[in-house]
Amino acid sequence: MPVLEKDITSWLREVVKPEEFNEKNLKTSGVLFEAVVAQNKIREVAREFLAQDYFLESLTAVDFAECLEVVYHFNRWSEPSRSCVKILVPKNDGKPEDGRWTAPSISSIYKSAAWFEREIFEFFGIIFTDHPNLKRLLLPESSVIFPLLKSFKGEPAGSDVTQSLKLMKEDTEGFQILYPQQVTEQATKHKRDYYLNLGPQHPSTHGVLRVLLHLDGERVIDAEPIIGYSHRHHEKMMEIQTYVACWPNMGRLDYVGAMSYNFGYAVLVEKAMGVTPPPRVEYIRVLTTELNRLASHLLWAGTFLMDLGAFTPFFYCFDDRENILDILEMTTGERLTYDYFRFGGLDKDIHPDMIPAIKKFIPEFKKHLKDYDGLVTKNIIFKKRTRNLGILSKEAAISYGVTGPSLRASGVPFDLRRAEPYSIYPELDFNIPTRSEGDVYSRYWVRMKEMEESLKIIAQVIEKMPAGEVTLGKLPKNVPKGEYYSAVESTRGLFGMYLISDGSLNPYRLKLRTPSFSNLNSIIHMLPGCLISDVVAVLGSIDIVLPEIDR
Amino acid sequence: MSFILQEIIKIILYGTLVTLFVSVNALFLIWLERRVSARIQLRRGPIHVGWQGSLQTVADAIKLLTKELVLPKESDKFLYMMAPLIVFAPIVAAFLILPLGPHFVMRDLNIGFLFVFSLTNISFIGIFIAGWASNNKYALLGSMRAVAQNISYEIPLLLSTMGVVMAAQTMKMSELVAAQEKTWFIATQPLAFLIFFCASLAEANRAPFDIPEAESELVAGFHTEYSGMRFALFFLGEYTAIFISSAIAATLFLGGWRSPVPGLPAGSLAGPFWLLLKTYGIVFVVMWVRWTFPRLRSDQLMNFAWKVLIPFAILNVFVTALVIQCQKFFA
Repeated sequence: MPVLEKDITSWLREVVKPEEFNEKNLKTSGVLFEAVVAQNKIREVAREFLAQDYFLESLTAVDFAECLEVVYHFNRWSEPSRSCVKILVPKNDGKPEDGRWTAPSISSIYKSAAWFEREIFEFFGIIFTDHPNLKRLLLPESSVIFPLLKSFKGEPAGSDVTQSLKLMKEDTEGFQILYPQQVTEQATKHKRDYYLNLGPQHPSTHGVLRVLLHLDGERVIDAEPIIGYSHRHHEKMMEIQTYVACWPNMGRLDYVGAMSYNFGYAVLVEKAMGVTPPPRVEYIRVLTTELNRLASHLLWAGTFLMDLGAFTPFFYCFDDRENILDILEMTTGERLTYDYFRFGGLDKDIHPDMIPAIKKFIPEFKKHLKDYDGLVTKNIIFKKRTRNLGILSKEAAISYGVTGPSLRASGVPFDLRRAEPYSIYPELDFNIPTRSEGDVYSRYWVRMKEMEESLKIIAQVIEKMPAGEVTLGKLPKNVPKGEYYSAVESTRGLFGMYLISDGSLNPYRLKLRTPSFSNLNSIIHMLPGCLISDVVAVLGSIDIVLPEIDR
Repeated sequence: MSFILQEIIKIILYGTLVTLFVSVNALFLIWLERRVSARIQLRRGPIHVGWQGSLQTVADAIKLLTKELVLPKESDKFLYMMAPLIVFAPIVAAFLILPLGPHFVMRDLNIGFLFVFSLTNISFIGIFIAGWASNNKYALLGSMRAVAQNISYEIPLLLSTMGVVMAAQTMKMSELVAAQEKTWFIATQPLAFLIFFCASLAEANRAPFDIPEAESELVAGFHTEYSGMRFALFFLGEYTAIFISSAIAATLFLGGWRSPVPGLPAGSLAGPFWLLLKTYGIVFVVMWVRWTFPRLRSDQLMNFAWKVLIPFAILNVFVTALVIQCQKFFA
């Protein structure tokens, strides 16, 4: 298909003729424009967005009184150009169980849409026509609830004990239920290939993840990640909480890099309220976030190398990580699930001992980074294990919606700290490490280099940090009516939040677009052809945290 | 009649001694491994039970003895119970030929260390049985890897010792030690020693060649389903195998029971002391390697054996033969 060198806005207006089209301000609402198109045109729109190098950032639905809205957010790495496209699914006074709420699937165009659509199906009951594998993603297969509909009033089918035991039993027998064909195949034909459930209890899945591997000997024919074991439904939880009460949820999504999630929520609500925090607050926010990014990358490096069979780097990384956690603990009082940011400010000012401790830490850690280089990066076994393995091409990465270091290892220099600058990042001097190979080694390399860049940022922030207030004082408890989207660069990629406020004390709908959710799905592309030893290497290299995926 | 009685007493005595030594040695090696790894990894390791944590492994052994022996529901019960014994027994039998001093060897067989390697191969059959009988996919994959690895690494292991055998003109362990009176074979056969060391690491399933039990991939490999004392037997077998292969390396290449410094005594009690010292030195290097390198992949492991170790081992045999013939020719 020839790439149209045409602005997507004018293309939409002229060719698709949307039912509704609103230009918006990227700074205040997070999107360039918002268009409501007819259901039958969404595939054409998606195809055009893909042709113009957009990736599907987020896909969700909102339950309104008369209809359901399916909301697509597309974004592009070359310039800030987030676009919002919506389709309407009329309710016709029906119920989700009737199966009459349908929308066309775009999973054949955007690979990342497959999981998003499954999620919408199980939470809203919208059936996506032509979806190859439309079944429940996060909830047990046997559940009969659609929790994000406003008509849902608690009392899930699993709320009493006997029922949940029944559900659990069905879930353990899930393989037989979900894959009857594979079971009969395995039982009747004595072939060389068989199925292996890697997880949910496995040392290298980094949490409760199950990867269903179809094997030929040790070689993977295809793989399917199965998630949802630590699903807590943060999105529903936040709908029934006030905005302030949502803070602790932010620390419990990605518990390894919780500070970025604090940042994301702060940026979102401040954008919606139209307030700017004092300068000192911004500096402290960047400082703590980058320290947390270091800690998160260190934890990743340790566990990833342990997956490859190298035990010792794990302890070296954890030793450094402990130092960072000690520093962060001084100020926040927490070591893991941070709950430190507030709207327009911070919980409290930094501890006086913190800056000297960081100044002592930076040179030590620089030396340790060199040690890692000598111990691991230059090791021939490590290179042989990781080079040309699990290759994710640029096109595949965009189609799967991969973001963060994994995307930058595939040759796309997309980092929101530069691409769509927020806070004080434009004033700071740092690079975005990028590699073009897209293999496991380059993903490792990018993260190691990113640690050096984070150190650079921390050093600059300490130097420039101004004195002043760390809070804006009292702010209103609610958010003005409207739709807002904001995204920050978390440790694992793009963390987006889509907020619909009706002006009340709690969010009407708050979609959490977490990076690993899309990143994990890309292993379907990377695993076929690998050996079992490579499976854990590939899985480790994309850096997943399961509670963030399951939410 | 008295000769038979004497032999029986000798067997019982020696058997008791070896069994005692094997258990104490394994406890010591596990403690050593923990302390060495802790030292490398910025930790302290076990320090609370006994002096410097020396009784920690004893406590662990007691724990393992009292644990329930789980029998998986769909396993092949007889084979499942047999497998740990098949793995453990042949390794212990290898003590039969180890020369501890000048006249301190149970059976000085004329096939020498070849006997040990043929015995340790039996234990790989045990590993395969363990993986098969557990009826667990991880265990089966682990035991498949173990068999492939063993077959591949047996070849460089034996080829590398050929150089030594040709130089000493014997396979008898006592005569091999005797041949190293002036210079140790590590000086004349350094390549053979390196190949032997790599291959014996692989034979003992040690990192970076520990793919049959790769924790991060196969949970625990062939012994995933084993618990309690059955698991302990695998553990005991592994550490004894490391000790045996290190002891043979010390005998073949490092002068066996001879003292490293000329002039020091190498008599009845000093012999075992020197041998143990050298053996534990090699064991320490084995541990050092384990805690430094990442693990190889199974296909890379095979490539390393067939494309690197075996050609070099054959080259070593040729060069040794050439040198010996030249020496004969010019002498």
